[in-house]
Amino acid sequence: MRKIRILVAKVGCDIHERGALTMMTVYRDAGMETIYTGRFQSEEGVVNAAINENVDFISVSDLTGSLVIICKKLMDGLKEQGAENDIHVICGGIITDSDREQLEAMGVLGAFGTGYPAEKTVEFIQDYMKDKLD
Amino acid sequence: MAESRKEEINLDRDADGLVRDATQSHIKVKTIYRPEDIAEDQYEEALGDPGSFPFTRGLYKEMYRNRLWLKSFIVSYATPEETNEAFRDYIKNGMNDLRLLSDLPIQSGIDPDHPASWNSMMCGGMSTYAINVYEKMLEGIPLEGVTFELAHQNVSCSIFFHGMIVAMMEKRGLDVSKLKGNGIADPIRAKLVYASPDWTTEINRRVCLDHIEYAMKHTPKWKAIAPNGVDPCQGGMNAYQEIGMVLAVARQTIRDLKERGISIDDFGSMICSLDAESDFFETIAKFRAIRRMWAHIAKDELGAATEKAMMLKIGIRTSGLSLQWQKPLNNAARVTLQILSCVLGGVGSIDASSIDEAVGLPSYEARMFNLDTQHIITHEANVPLVADPLGGSYYLEWMTDKIEKECQAFLDEIEERGGVYECLETGWLNAVMEENRLKIQREKAEGKRLIIGVNSFKGESGPINKEIENCAYKVPTEQMRTDKIQELNEFKAARNTEKLYDCFRRLYLDTKEGRNVSRAMIDGIAEGMTMGEMVGIVRLGYHISYDPLNMLPTPDYVKEALKEYLS
Repeated sequence: MRKIRILVAKVGCDIHERGALTMMTVYRDAGMETIYTGRFQSEEGVVNAAINENVDFISVSDLTGSLVIICKKLMDGLKEQGAENDIHVICGGIITDSDREQLEAMGVLGAFGTGYPAEKTVEFIQDYMKDKLD
Repeated sequence: MAESRKEEINLDRDADGLVRDATQSHIKVKTIYRPEDIAEDQYEEALGDPGSFPFTRGLYKEMYRNRLWLKSFIVSYATPEETNEAFRDYIKNGMNDLRLLSDLPIQSGIDPDHPASWNSMMCGGMSTYAINVYEKMLEGIPLEGVTFELAHQNVSCSIFFHGMIVAMMEKRGLDVSKLKGNGIADPIRAKLVYASPDWTTEINRRVCLDHIEYAMKHTPKWKAIAPNGVDPCQGGMNAYQEIGMVLAVARQTIRDLKERGISIDDFGSMICSLDAESDFFETIAKFRAIRRMWAHIAKDELGAATEKAMMLKIGIRTSGLSLQWQKPLNNAARVTLQILSCVLGGVGSIDASSIDEAVGLPSYEARMFNLDTQHIITHEANVPLVADPLGGSYYLEWMTDKIEKECQAFLDEIEERGGVYECLETGWLNAVMEENRLKIQREKAEGKRLIIGVNSFKGESGPINKEIENCAYKVPTEQMRTDKIQELNEFKAARNTEKLYDCFRRLYLDTKEGRNVSRAMIDGIAEGMTMGEMVGIVRLGYHISYDPLNMLPTPDYVKEALKEYLS
């Protein structure tokens, strides 16, 4: 069985990196193949990297409260390139209840607030992928 | 409720006991400290009275009895109007130290019309792209006699916004020598923690010294650098590494200034920003230890002759990282203890985080809670009546000595590795930060470090907590962002291009030819030069791309202004 592949992403000028770094090590410790984009990326760049790296998930972290704006562009970008069924988006950071509704509506699989237990995010991904790893 | 009553009740007297035998920074502690643990400490040498070398017990003889710490927090909402309004309210309620910030794109050195600006524009603060925004933000607020602090992540912002206030004062005919405050402008922290793309470390180090030199001459009450330990600490460093970073940057800055013919006595007291973490005694000991260490470094190593130059003033930002999104009401307890540790540690200014900070930008009421907590500590708990009230505690004095020892070893290692700039370039500082960050993360996952409401004592959020979660400040809409770009374009179009381009040329040439860049920057700012322009033109002076993110070419009008020089 192959390993889950995941791209940890940061978009724009949000410098808060600790959440992204934490998730990177948590995914790695859980046996996933993990890649980190680094900070100051564009949505287009993240989508391209996700396709080139053939990942299952984009895990985007943002602490500015702008995940709705970022995820909308990521979802649109994936659709444009016909990758929306192969690459899934989850996000973490500052998320309000209304953000959560909008994120769900646009097809973001999971939205996890700051302090959400990292191991639960891992379980969520593993659960989702359990029948999909040939 | 009825169902749960049927559950069997197991009451264990010893459940939920301590899980640690070490502090947050992994300093192992005994169960009791006794006189022999601090037997080596001679009172005059190790402590001294408050106001006397080595200032372990505080910088001033009467401490808070004479003058309380400055009460501060960052105020920067999405618009200058809201921010101005908030400043007025907070000042009315006891805030007396105005801490300024801008949104994240400005802090990265780019203007709102840059494509990378969109998703974080007006987030974390205002888009203070040029002087028009500052004038609106500070409308009606006195510029003389007020203490300002610039909390921005990078060196370019500290210089830009100091220049902004100077330009505003000059326009109004005010005396700039009365400008008071400080900017962080720490070249190490800008890269170590933020990887700030605006300028390279080579540029940061040089223009920072230009800025210090200029400020010493023209705005002598402005401390143009305040080495920052808060962010390295939030990034993973422990307490003694945090103060080690501050001391290393402070020491290197004084050495660099010496090469320009400026002595530590000319420079005067040093100021720094430190983190107030959750570990109560360790935090208090850290403040006492760093004052003593700087006094010795300044005197023994850097040749300070005046008492002032041996003093390290401590400004605080309480730990944002310690605040949790689960059951945010608990953050009130965390912040209160952190503020208390600052007062017991004798700091000079406190910027306390807000209970809703893990949820969003702090709301008005959460900020008021911070001020009121400080008023309660002062007027009801009577904590500041006596200077260094914990001085002489066996445990605290032992911990102060211990932190000093550990910090000294860290500083020695930085020196052995070629100094703080070398340690940044090689990535060693980053590795130190990363190693400790991972250690803490694993301890939390393994239940060796309990965070209440997160990995232990979880419970449910009730209506009070839910309300806190829902009242945090909301991010600006996309329409507001579009309007901001429109406003920028209109502002740029209305500038006096002849005068502005002249400033561009001066800034470019001063950068390239090694003159002090400060005056050209201030003149440019007065003419409406934007953040992105200032950053870009200095970059051109170093023969690197105008755009820090390498997404855009040099704008045509900048090329036009500099056409004599750009090949």
